[in-house]
Amino acid sequence: MSAGLRVVLGRATGALVFPLVAISLALVVGAVIVLTTGNNPLAAYRALIVGAVGSPAAIGRTLLNATPLIFTGLAVAVAFRTGLFNIGGEGQLYIGAITAAILGVSLGFLGPLAIPVVLLACFLTGFLWGAIPGLLKARFGAHEVITTIMLNFVAINLATYLALKPFRTEGLVPGTDFIDPAARLPTLGLGRANYGLLIALLAAVAVYLLLWRTTLGFRLRAVGLSPGAANYAGMSIGASTVLALAIGGAMAGLGGGVEVMGVYGKMSIPFVSNLGFNGIGVALLGRNHPAGVVLGALLFGGLASGAQELQFETDVPLDLADVLLAIILLLVTATRLVELIFGKRARELASGTRLDEGLAS
Amino acid sequence: MEELLGGLTPLLASMVRNATPLVFAALGGMFSERSGVVNIGLEGLMLISAFAGVAGAFYSGSAWVGLLCALGAGLAFALIHALMSITFEADQIISGTAINLLALGGTGFLMELVFDQSGTSPRVQGFEPVAIPLLSEIPVVGPAFFDQSLLVYLMYAMVPLTYLLVFRTPFGLRLRGTGEAPEAVDTAGVSVTRMRYYGVALSGLLAALGGVYLSMGILSAFTEGMTNGRGFIALAALIFGRWNPIGAAGAALLFGLAQAFIFQAPQEVVPLEFLQMIPYVLTIVVLAGFGGRAVAPAAIGKPYRKE
Repeated sequence: MSAGLRVVLGRATGALVFPLVAISLALVVGAVIVLTTGNNPLAAYRALIVGAVGSPAAIGRTLLNATPLIFTGLAVAVAFRTGLFNIGGEGQLYIGAITAAILGVSLGFLGPLAIPVVLLACFLTGFLWGAIPGLLKARFGAHEVITTIMLNFVAINLATYLALKPFRTEGLVPGTDFIDPAARLPTLGLGRANYGLLIALLAAVAVYLLLWRTTLGFRLRAVGLSPGAANYAGMSIGASTVLALAIGGAMAGLGGGVEVMGVYGKMSIPFVSNLGFNGIGVALLGRNHPAGVVLGALLFGGLASGAQELQFETDVPLDLADVLLAIILLLVTATRLVELIFGKRARELASGTRLDEGLAS
Repeated sequence: MEELLGGLTPLLASMVRNATPLVFAALGGMFSERSGVVNIGLEGLMLISAFAGVAGAFYSGSAWVGLLCALGAGLAFALIHALMSITFEADQIISGTAINLLALGGTGFLMELVFDQSGTSPRVQGFEPVAIPLLSEIPVVGPAFFDQSLLVYLMYAMVPLTYLLVFRTPFGLRLRGTGEAPEAVDTAGVSVTRMRYYGVALSGLLAALGGVYLSMGILSAFTEGMTNGRGFIALAALIFGRWNPIGAAGAALLFGLAQAFIFQAPQEVVPLEFLQMIPYVLTIVVLAGFGGRAVAPAAIGKPYRKE
């Protein structure tokens, strides 16, 4: 085996160990939970799998669920690579969604240009919203974990206000009017999955190229790996901070836009929730790499999709999916746990899932 | 004047009711963070305890059994956070986020199993207001501050008690030391791990009091997602109050007052949504204002491994 191949295989193993341990343990805990409800865990997991990938409709539903999670996962991953923790995906998604809902209504006259224009607008509003915690950190040292959490609530309230007051339409469901058909994303012909998925995959490729194939990306990652060294090399930590959080915000903003343009056609209040927070799990499971984010989003999307079948087939509540996700999230950064299971060497494989070095700065 | 004072009593009473869960959770967060463990899972700890309290009272018919169940649930979930972030060295932010998700999904799951319905639980025996003789007869402030649930009186007592515990006892000194300079505490022969477990466990118990007050001191029922961001506001109050019990309680009262205004303010003037933003915006402004002057415990967020 060539040395290069061995390195690649080694890295791939490393990238898989933590997520696989976390998923396996979560499934074991999940089985115990299912047992306590008086159901057969094997039957439950079978229903979960059938519901996730058992039919074209199920696969379409999984892809549909995964689409916004790819965006919010990327929102976390980009920031993380720069040593920042973006917990604001939820609010950034709301900002993108309300942008699409407001603009999508009236941009029908643009014809085929309506979709790219609305997407661009979502990108920009998400970018600007994401830049706020970046600026607050760069200029005033306000910790981004706290500011992004707080900005989530501000964004949700702001979007709620806009959808319920100035842009509200008459109707049974409170919220904005339906957007123009020209701004709707067509379906892919696989269940309800739509072109938003392709945009999400493009975004993942773009993030990969940005981070690993451009000078700017090199700077962002350098700041994430060693702020001191990057600063010494003349890179601006402040600018990288603002940019990384802004790009993250743009990703989540796109995610919100795609939800409105591809799934709901409008913004109703209450709007879909927890996509931003689940993005954190997706990013961690994918070890903050765009390819991993896509895989993580598919897993999360499949779990949510399978849970519907689970509730239908057995009397295990739908919420089991959230519980499983939470357990995966709990375990995925548990360095010591993996070390206990696989020995000390596994610890080296953990590099890339730790956040505290970046957070401490 | 008479009319103004008459309107003041319900406003103050509402402030106390809104602030109580925030004070409990913020004090809880203080213990955890003073020991060096970030606890953004306060929201989840409150939520699971709010549920456990109602479930306990539902089965037993007793509010006190409910309270015990809530404390047990808060402690159990806090210990999960402790196990993951202290023993297994998981990232504290992730672990806290997972606790929030676990509580949200878990309470939804358990609603179906325990009450066979989702949304809102049946009404249970809660903690009714108890007027304190004499004190509750003081004009204006009496009925607001001293005609409340027993949990509110417990909250009054907790503020000075936590202050004394953290700043005037050997335990408090060790706890603070663990958050500031774990190596030094370790060298002095005190177990950093144990102190952090104590800190996180106390945060679970206090957050549980906040949660159970929501479901059994105000509503007497559990509603899915009923904490509605209060754990995060409590976190804000903690930062606002600079990790000091008196400061955190003061900030929580301020946020409680802001919320009390929300319910009374005429919405034609300022939309509800903007009023609801106040505590969050305030936190951001204060955080930006205090700037780089680090007030957080120095070792916060970092796992400690004895070399």
